[in-house]
Amino acid sequence: MHPFSYEKVTNEHEALERARLGKATFVAGGTTLVDLMKLNVEVPTALVDINGLPLNQIEDRSDGSIRIGALVRNGDLAHDSRIQSRYRVLSQAILAGASAQLRNMATTGGNLMQRTRCYYFRDPVYPCNKRQPGAGCAAMDGYNRIHAILGASDTCIATHPSDMAVALVALDASVHIRAANGERVVPIMEFHLLPGDTPDRETVIRPGELITYVTLPSGPFGPRSAYVKLRDRASYEFALASAAVALQLEGTTVRSARVALGGVATKPWRALEAEQVLTGAAANKATFLNAADAALTGAVPRRHNAYKIELAKRAVVRALADALTH
Amino acid sequence: MPSRSVGRSVVRKEGRGKVTGAARYIDDLTFPGLIHARTIRSTIPAGEIVDVAFGFDTSGFTLVDYRDIPGRNIVALIDDDQPCLAERLVRHVAEPILLLAHADREALLAADVRIRYREAVPTYDATTSPIAFKTIAIDKGRIDQGFREADVIVEGEYRTGHQEQLYIEPNGVIAVPEHGGVTVYGSMQCPYYVHRALKVLLDLPDDKVRVVQTETGGGFGGKEEYPSMIAGHAALVAIKAQRPVKLVYDRVEDMLATTKRHPAVIRHRTGVKRDGTLTAIDIDAVIDGGAYATLSAVVLSRGVIHATGPYRCDHIRIRGRATMTNTPPNGAFRGFGAPQTQFAAEVHMDRIAEALGIDPVRIREINALRPGDRTATGQRLGRDCSALAVLRETVKRTDFKRKWRAYARLKASRCLKASRYKEGGSRGIGLSLFFHGAGFTGGGEVKLASKASLALTDRGARILVASTEIGQGTRTMHAQIVADTLGVPYDCVDVNAADTGQVPDSGPTVASRTCMVVGRILQRCAEDMRERLGRLTPREYLKRHGPLVITREYERPTDMAWDDNSYRGDAYGTYGWACDVAEIEVDRETWEVKPIAFTTVHEIGKAIHPVLALGQIEGGSAQGLGYALLEEVVMRDGRMANAQLTNYIIPTTLDTPPIDVVILENPYKHGPFGAKGVGEMPIDGPAPAAINALRNAGFDLREIPATPERVMVSEKQEPRHALHA
Ligand SMILES: Cc1cc2nc3c(=O)[nH]c(=O)nc-3n(C[C@H](O)[C@H](O)[C@H](O)COP(=O)(O)OP(=O)(O)OC[C@H]3O[C@@H](n4cnc5c(N)ncnc54)[C@H](O)[C@@H]3O)c2cc1C
Ligand code: SF4
Repeated sequence: MHPFSYEKVTNEHEALERARLGKATFVAGGTTLVDLMKLNVEVPTALVDINGLPLNQIEDRSDGSIRIGALVRNGDLAHDSRIQSRYRVLSQAILAGASAQLRNMATTGGNLMQRTRCYYFRDPVYPCNKRQPGAGCAAMDGYNRIHAILGASDTCIATHPSDMAVALVALDASVHIRAANGERVVPIMEFHLLPGDTPDRETVIRPGELITYVTLPSGPFGPRSAYVKLRDRASYEFALASAAVALQLEGTTVRSARVALGGVATKPWRALEAEQVLTGAAANKATFLNAADAALTGAVPRRHNAYKIELAKRAVVRALADALTH
Repeated sequence: MPSRSVGRSVVRKEGRGKVTGAARYIDDLTFPGLIHARTIRSTIPAGEIVDVAFGFDTSGFTLVDYRDIPGRNIVALIDDDQPCLAERLVRHVAEPILLLAHADREALLAADVRIRYREAVPTYDATTSPIAFKTIAIDKGRIDQGFREADVIVEGEYRTGHQEQLYIEPNGVIAVPEHGGVTVYGSMQCPYYVHRALKVLLDLPDDKVRVVQTETGGGFGGKEEYPSMIAGHAALVAIKAQRPVKLVYDRVEDMLATTKRHPAVIRHRTGVKRDGTLTAIDIDAVIDGGAYATLSAVVLSRGVIHATGPYRCDHIRIRGRATMTNTPPNGAFRGFGAPQTQFAAEVHMDRIAEALGIDPVRIREINALRPGDRTATGQRLGRDCSALAVLRETVKRTDFKRKWRAYARLKASRCLKASRYKEGGSRGIGLSLFFHGAGFTGGGEVKLASKASLALTDRGARILVASTEIGQGTRTMHAQIVADTLGVPYDCVDVNAADTGQVPDSGPTVASRTCMVVGRILQRCAEDMRERLGRLTPREYLKRHGPLVITREYERPTDMAWDDNSYRGDAYGTYGWACDVAEIEVDRETWEVKPIAFTTVHEIGKAIHPVLALGQIEGGSAQGLGYALLEEVVMRDGRMANAQLTNYIIPTTLDTPPIDVVILENPYKHGPFGAKGVGEMPIDGPAPAAINALRNAGFDLREIPATPERVMVSEKQEPRHALHA
């Protein structure tokens, strides 16, 4: 770990001011940033501790949406009764991740900003375009069983690790960003970027910008949503494949649907093709199988991760069946 | 007469210190003037060092390379082929080349060393590697005749991967230059291994090297031989700088550079009669030694001796090879070769049963070793051979036969349904029967000639051994044996620190020998002390006769014999016997494998401390399930690519089913209170039990770990006859 300065701020203005200095980075729960600093993957010269900002509320808005402060802990969010009843998929997704202790520290903003668990990214010995643009990608021809089958580019095939973000994509959330020159709201689908030629740019956040809130629109889905996560072990473990789905039914027909995938794509992945298959179709296993096929049509396997295609399909089918029967 | 402590779960000696935080581990210690060291390692798997350049101002640093070694540049062990610091040739990634030290850790970490290499072509495939560190042949009877007697021949190839020991506390030492020599404090299993390695490396006499074990956070074999390396490094720097030096690895360095379990490829060809009797066992085992010999020869030895599993057969041929690859040396890990070979044996045994159409229990009942039978090396087993007893107890306790049939039937009926995604969960139940020799293999204990001492104290006695407490309960168990033999309360027996300046060489703390072998030497000390005391209390004796220290050496039981050339004879003093049953659930949509119940029956002679014995068995079982289902070392160009706990995963509590442990006691006549060893055996059985359970559920795997992608492609097409079973 390299030396760095540390300062705790108490308001957004101060936070944005401090973040402009040197190679400053915000620290919220610290659950992933500190690891990456120890591994010399992130080497900030200054840490700006934002835990003192008043961004830790979950609020009902008059338009039926819910506004989640960037500092709301993952555990608090998952156990909030409004989230559990109206956005079940989000609660399930968060609880499927990390461990109870980590969730008590991890924040909503930090979760969105967490970085890939690609082996080579986290070990500075290997070439990695994400860590060091232009250096090459050790995963491309290396062991890549945990890597992406969707959204990859010639420069990077790393998956986005978040569970929470997959549910947010399914729920069409939006992210509020504060910059020195004002605020903007970005739909979650546009928040994370595909690697393209710039895998080091993972989100639309520019250095020094602060996530303040995430809002969940009041959706038509009610409790009919579900998250299914498939992984190597039962806890402390990232998804090999996951699916976040939501269904709106009219009798036995699907009126509208949302399908998002995790663990298989370079960003939290919205599967619009699957949603099209579902919309207007009978809510049954056959439809779900078709939707799963559609969700993975564009998948490109690498040497060691072809199994993920089948695994992701099964996650989709399982999640849809769960949402239906819930 | 104080109440006996043996057989009771008394408070462990170091327990209070550990739970109150008073215990001091190596990184808790410091010394005046202490500096920190860092190891510069090779980044290539094979080649030559061309030159070394320093991209920083070296003033204020202590730099050490092979030229600073006063003695021989080796890590003294068995073959003495491994340099302490590479000179010109590099044989694996992470091979130590240089040492840097500085008082300021930031400056140390920032120091930039650039090494240029001439790369050579590395070898990664152990089965085709031209260099063998060791080959072993075991022959019993006439293999050709055995195959002639067979009605059916079953063949199979089985593979196991690396496994990381993953002790909680990484390797670390502090070296202090003093009295014209050096004292090394550290986390380790074998202080006298380190002592010897330092003498050779530093060219110092016995009394100029002192090695002191500090409280140690686990070892599992990973601190058997490696501490000799890291202690050598710290000592070289300390001697050059003439200051105390701390060298503690972080997790990544520990995983990249230190030893792991040997990967293995094991082929079986077995002849069997229709009625299930084994007529011929032909085994070929290759283990991947990595770049240097380290302990590969003895790992191979234990591996091949256990390779048949606990079965009798008149005609056996075993060929074992430990070969060189350009990967970091593999080394000691709980089980020491036996988990690999018994994995193969036990998965193969289920396949033999399947080929004959008999159940897994029956095939084992027919062939299990019994008292009076001879093992592959010709060892005649005594009355404490308990293979059948553990098998029957486990089968009864788990309702194995009924469940096994029921799950197999379910599986067969499912195969008739041609749906794309098979509905629901599948269950499977699997069994493994295994054994584990306690103590060093063959003539090892005679060569070691271990000594233990007991000093009389005011209140009782003080134990002086180099056997280490690494979390498994050495101090407690030794104190119990001494207390009861001497006839004093448990609390009146103290245990000296494992400090080579104070204790005799009781041998390494490995090979499930610390209770059975060292405990027995201590018991003999206590018996003699008891006799010397006569009717006097310790206090009275000391007053009247002055200090009393009794030292005894290992004595080979007169009924044991071993020939290292022919590999025949009594490979071990005795064996523990165990049987595991794993019940698993496979989600047929998602290939998630979840162990839902685990039962293990262990016959260990005598449980000196039942809770500690139980802890060993539970811990070893969990570690074995990790080996079976989760743990995978990703080697990329000879380097571990997932050397972080986020990517190398071991079971959490949620991945570990409730473990039902039964301890049976069939005393070994030469063990203290009848005790055998228990440390390693528990890890031999879980992997084959879990894989056999998967087979029962319809998944045919021959390789571990059983990751989802392996499970996915292993779904069996049922042979027709199974449908009518
Ligand atoms: C062992 C382990 C297992 C895990 N398993 C899972 C899992 O299964 N699924 C899963 O989804 N996650 C998992 N995680 C990741 C975990 O969810 C993240 O570590 C956590 O959400 C990060 O939040 P934090 O507040 O601690 O972020 P920090 O570590 O504080 O920060 C992370 C990054 O976010 C930036 N940041 C934080 N807040 C803001 C803000 N308001 N505005 C702008 N930038 C900000 C920081 O600058 C930093 O770059 C795991 C983590 C660990 C350590
Ligand atoms: S996949 Fe991406 S993160 Fe991983 S090594 Fe390649 S560029 Fe780096």
